[in-house]
Amino acid sequence: MLNNSNIISKIKKMTIKKYNTFRMIIVIALAIIFSQSIIYQNYFLAIGILIISSLLVFTLRKSVKEIMADERDYEQGGKAAMLAMQIYCYAGVIAMFIFKSQASLNPSYDIIATTLAFSICIFMLLYSFIYQVKSKGKFWDKWVIYTFLVLLFFLVLGILGILKI
Amino acid sequence: MKNRIKELRTKLNITQDELAKSVEARRETIVFLEQGKYNPSLNLAHKVAKKLKVKIDDLFIFEE
Repeated sequence: MLNNSNIISKIKKMTIKKYNTFRMIIVIALAIIFSQSIIYQNYFLAIGILIISSLLVFTLRKSVKEIMADERDYEQGGKAAMLAMQIYCYAGVIAMFIFKSQASLNPSYDIIATTLAFSICIFMLLYSFIYQVKSKGKFWDKWVIYTFLVLLFFLVLGILGILKI
Repeated sequence: MKNRIKELRTKLNITQDELAKSVEARRETIVFLEQGKYNPSLNLAHKVAKKLKVKIDDLFIFEE
């Protein structure tokens, strides 16, 4: 049986392999508890378990002394994020047109189309905003502030647009 | 871009894992570097060159 000192020593000697195993166990447990708590409408348990598991994963990650990611991972991550964004935007625009054209059959298609359109706009603006912040290296730059204001404007427009429908 | 990382690493009897740890990179990155499939940043190139006790110019073969 594991006692407290054993658990602490295991955490102190955390390797990437062990971290991945622990993370997998936490994710499985979280999925089971979260889905069950939603089914039984116990939302406090769902939020609680989400916060606890996030903190646990964060603590475990901090205890890993090995290098988990280097410059090559960040480069690949950037490329993957860019590609994912492009795919999401193109697929979203196509789906939006399909839903919009079928709106006469079912009025709820119009809501889906509007939500998709605004989510794509906000997503692209959010990307532009983060890109501007990263590329300028500061928040107080005129282009960063312009992008932020446009993002805020579209966010308000999106919420109002969806509420109006 | 070709390089002499593998040649110099074996000469100094350093494993990929050891090199990776000393330059604060993952072993996979060293594998990709040796195969010439990844162009490192100036910072990483400098760290690798320092570990292998050569100049960056002697480590990487620039082809125009």
